[in-house]
Amino acid sequence: MKGKANYRKRDYQAFLYIMPWLIGFAILQLYPFISSFIFSFADYSIGAKPNFIGVGNYKKLFTQDKEFWNSLKVTVLFALYTVPGKLIMALAVAMFLNRDIKGINLIRTLYYIPSLFGGSVAVALLWRLMFLDNGVMNAMLTALHLPNVQFIGDTRYALKTICALEIWQFGSSMVMFLAALKQVPKSLYEAAQIDGAGKARMFFSITLPQISPIIFFNLLNQMIQALQNFTSASVITEGGPLKATYVLGLKLYKEGFSYFKMGYASAISWVVFTVIVAFTLLIFGSSKFWVHYGDE
Amino acid sequence: MKKRLFAAMMAMAMTASLLTGCGGGSSNGNQAASQTGGETDAAKKDETKGTASSDEEITLRMSWWGGDERNEATLQVIEQFEAAHPNVTIEAEYGGNDGYHDKLATQLASGTAPDIVQVDPEIFPTYVATGDYFLDYKDYGIDLSNFEEAYIGIPINGNYDGKQLGLPTGISGAGIMVNKDLADAIGLDFSKTYSWEDLITMGKKVREYDDSMYLLCANKEYIVNLVVFNYAKQLIGATVFDPETKTLNMTEDQLKEIFGYVKRLYDEEVVPPASYQAAYSGDNLQSDTNWIGGKYVAALTYISTIDVMVAANPEAEYVMSELPILDGASEAGWASNTPQVFAITSTCEHPEMAAEFMDYFFNDDQALAALGATRSVPPTEKARKICTENGSLTQVTMEGANIAAAMGGTPNDKISSSEESKTILFDSVETIGYGASSVEDVTKDAISLLSGLGQ
Amino acid sequence: MKVKNRRLKMVRDYVIIFLIGLVLLYPIIWMVFATFKTNEEIFGSVKLLPENFSFQYYIEGWKGSGRVTYTNFFINTFLLVLPTTIFTVISAALVAYGFARFNFPFKKILFVLLIAMMMLPNSVVIIPRYTLYNGFKWVNTYMPFYAPALLCCNSFFPYMLIQFLRGLPTELDESAYMDGCGTLKTFTHILLPLMKPSLFSAGLFQFLWTYNDYFNSLIFINSVKKYPISLALRMSLDAESVVQWGKVMAMAAVAVLPVILLFFAAQRYFVEGIATSGLKG
Repeated sequence: MKGKANYRKRDYQAFLYIMPWLIGFAILQLYPFISSFIFSFADYSIGAKPNFIGVGNYKKLFTQDKEFWNSLKVTVLFALYTVPGKLIMALAVAMFLNRDIKGINLIRTLYYIPSLFGGSVAVALLWRLMFLDNGVMNAMLTALHLPNVQFIGDTRYALKTICALEIWQFGSSMVMFLAALKQVPKSLYEAAQIDGAGKARMFFSITLPQISPIIFFNLLNQMIQALQNFTSASVITEGGPLKATYVLGLKLYKEGFSYFKMGYASAISWVVFTVIVAFTLLIFGSSKFWVHYGDE
Repeated sequence: MKKRLFAAMMAMAMTASLLTGCGGGSSNGNQAASQTGGETDAAKKDETKGTASSDEEITLRMSWWGGDERNEATLQVIEQFEAAHPNVTIEAEYGGNDGYHDKLATQLASGTAPDIVQVDPEIFPTYVATGDYFLDYKDYGIDLSNFEEAYIGIPINGNYDGKQLGLPTGISGAGIMVNKDLADAIGLDFSKTYSWEDLITMGKKVREYDDSMYLLCANKEYIVNLVVFNYAKQLIGATVFDPETKTLNMTEDQLKEIFGYVKRLYDEEVVPPASYQAAYSGDNLQSDTNWIGGKYVAALTYISTIDVMVAANPEAEYVMSELPILDGASEAGWASNTPQVFAITSTCEHPEMAAEFMDYFFNDDQALAALGATRSVPPTEKARKICTENGSLTQVTMEGANIAAAMGGTPNDKISSSEESKTILFDSVETIGYGASSVEDVTKDAISLLSGLGQ
Repeated sequence: MKVKNRRLKMVRDYVIIFLIGLVLLYPIIWMVFATFKTNEEIFGSVKLLPENFSFQYYIEGWKGSGRVTYTNFFINTFLLVLPTTIFTVISAALVAYGFARFNFPFKKILFVLLIAMMMLPNSVVIIPRYTLYNGFKWVNTYMPFYAPALLCCNSFFPYMLIQFLRGLPTELDESAYMDGCGTLKTFTHILLPLMKPSLFSAGLFQFLWTYNDYFNSLIFINSVKKYPISLALRMSLDAESVVQWGKVMAMAAVAVLPVILLFFAAQRYFVEGIATSGLKG
């Protein structure tokens, strides 16, 4: 994405290729995007006339709303647990399944199944049943003569329980890693083998740099998803106990749709937006040290 | 060169097709304009199209949430009505209760709501306050004679400032459902009026009898709705908020007393620990393994969910009982109200026909027989008689409705029944249950948050 | 000796795969057995196996709620999901090509805008978006899904393809230009075939996400006759009604089958090695 002042003639054709998005941006995306920004400065309930109050919503959020700082902390923690967790899990499994053995297609499919359910009601129920006080996990702990844990009811574990659900659905990142691993030219490994490189060395000096654009993309995307996430928390714990899983995504949804305070919800989402931008800049800034593109 | 030209043309053609694909779109400015004009347009339509001839093709949209039985029964009534009115089609838009009101709020705000909508009576006032979304049934000649005037006259059942904006679909209300065999075995008597203090004494007896058992199956939501609100109204002799002045009727000391009582419910193990209940919050009481296993003597419940609780542990025999009452209380605090209301939206183009259908829905023998008790105990004497005769009303549900109806307390005011006020109380009860903060601090916080709601 | 070693290693690998798979899939296995259980068994016991195997819940569940059956819901889902997926892949590939391979004015700012569109939480744009789509008369049609797909409005896809494209050396393009190819031909003949794995994964994701998308379907689709599976699965969930969870589980299990089959079938396209060797480095 380097900017150069002199454009070649064919460079202008790029506008034709990006035209679908330019149109989509102008007619479908821009209006909702901007109107949510404007509403963040208004006292506005769904269906009523917005009443502009300047930075009132933001002021209330930062100075009066006791839930906000806790929610921000929980949200960042959720991202810090799930993003690396998911990426490492996905990459490890992708590496492991990137081989030609009998039935590998079936095995990959089976590993992907947990992710196929998304936020389905079945998964919500399943996860609760697994982690109830007298649920499956505790039955297993008992069988192993280990003390039982209140996975949902204990404030120390509730967030980790929903993070586990999130990490369990690592499949989409895994698929991207599988595709990326297949793009790495075999010749590179062959050459390294001739040089007598070991497996670890090949991983760090060939595999990682070669798939680094996809690691980067997955990292960015998972970070964005994690900071906006609210389904896992809303279906399993509804933000509890004692707000231990009350992520910002859930808070803004409740403010907007349960309390009808769309203006306030918009302010929260612009805070989320800012947090995401900050993380994005951080990730982008670091990328020149570890992301290697084939087009450079 | 030729190839490049070809490529450019391809892309152009593609763009052009995309552009025309969205040709129907108006600009954002127009959009906003038509938005604000929507209401008045709709009002005009009412006047012009109101007098529809009987053979004009009419399509009405109707939405509700419900389980399989309710869906099936409602569709049956729609079919019956369509058979009698060949020019009318009623499009049914039904689904689960999850997200129903999020969608309805969006539709009302955009003027796209169905013509007939089922609404949660606790959310209804928020809609009524936000805009002129609903029509007054009385303007469209619907027969309301089967309803008791007192019942449909209160706001929670659809009457706002003399306008009948909603009609109650049934009778619900709170109660305690008691596992009779277990209560008898322990020697607990729920049949006569008892106090909140008695409830704690009973709770202790249960723990002495068997320490794997608890008196009450209840989570923070039920404790707020059935204990905190009722105790509060009995204590202050009025609703928590004054609906006129929108200020709190309840003092800090009064709330402290109520929360102090809630703390005792947890401390003296009348209810299971908060950390156990956390997994069964909201409407999940029926999945509590201990309820299924018959480890509770009783459950806080709504009449509309009795059948669900019975189905979760069908072996036991249940009786309905009153909720406790404070000594010397002038106000019982709890009353019967409806589990849902049906309303006709102001964007409806054929309000006469919609009202005619509602008339059929609430008054016709055949319709009432088909509907049965799929929306709790029916709201009219006539319907209850039909349901008792055809056996769709269970004994224990009927019992619950009778008890709730006999109490005649004041339903919650609009502000305290809002989702936001309830959430403040849910959080308070949870904090007390976990012992995360003292009753004094929780009370102080709750009072400051609650008093912010009135404005 | 060497052969024996290799065989031993292979057995070890299968054992590891099986053990990890068992842990990952245990909840799913549990779910499959739960489709044969009554509510009392589901909630009241932690036993894996049901008391008896009866396909009653599958048969009952397929009938749906009210008059619309899962046959309709499946047809609706495919009508909704397939065009959305195809449109997404086409538009995202074009946009990605534009961004990845050209250096044009305002590119930086446009790229920032593209990425920024992913960053605002969805909940607050729902109402303005609904107002907009309602103005286009798109409510209760599948256009709220088709149009954004056609106009590349989920930045995830173009961005993902940009990343994959950037992994392909630009020498490929240069040599194509040298041979006299235009940009479109370079794209369709040289780059697209190499992007096959990423195109298939993009398609798979869009398929899966649209298939599972509850909230947008809820907001934009009114008629039960048009409901996709994601709505159908929650249709009879109601706090005031007795929910047969076995039935819900059974339908959730049936609903996931097409996606499993799709992944199984499409896999070879994105997992198959590509002959890029020799082009790089």
